[in-house]
Amino acid sequence: MIATDVQTVRSVMPDDVPVIEFVHPMPGFDELVRFALVQLDDDGVLCALRSVEDPDVRFLVVPPHLFFPDYAPVLDDETVAELGIESADDVVLLVVLNATESLADTTANLLAPIVVNTAGRRAAQVILADTELPIRAPLIA
Amino acid sequence: MLVLSRRVGESVVIGDDVTITILEVRGDVVRVGIDAPRSVAVNRAELLKELGATNQESASPSEQTVASLAKALRERPQRD
Repeated sequence: MIATDVQTVRSVMPDDVPVIEFVHPMPGFDELVRFALVQLDDDGVLCALRSVEDPDVRFLVVPPHLFFPDYAPVLDDETVAELGIESADDVVLLVVLNATESLADTTANLLAPIVVNTAGRRAAQVILADTELPIRAPLIA
Repeated sequence: MLVLSRRVGESVVIGDDVTITILEVRGDVVRVGIDAPRSVAVNRAELLKELGATNQESASPSEQTVASLAKALRERPQRD
């Protein structure tokens, strides 16, 4: 399972460090819309979204299904249209980590995942309609 | 800030295509209905604020944090 996911992340995000453009800025970072997705480990699990406009800003992100197998957010039509998504195969879902040095205290934002359309290299942090989803879910249960 | 008084059932129209209707007032809770095009994002203010704060807190972890997290993830027990 993990090996497959590694391939997925690698195949859509090759070594040339693609720059992704956010169709609207992430809340709290109104000036920043261009980010590079960088793989931080050999397994393609831990990645960073580094701001092109402000290189001091980066977010740690992971593919959620490795940690939250039941997490299956539904994207509304507006998100699909905004990101120009034509095929589900083009979509990569990432969740933002609020990281501490202890894995046990690290949380993931499941309420507002980052949805990337790899075909158009466009992304958005989408607030899901299911407002019961946690904004700080422990990464390791 | 424009301040208006409205009764239950009355509405306010913003721009060409956003209508806000007062549906119910019970104690200090007011229910409002918002009719807007899908392209207009409607969110609770406190949710956006919390998301902004969480993003700020999540941004730019130290190299040490990243290194220890990467190590812990590498060493964590793998699911079958």
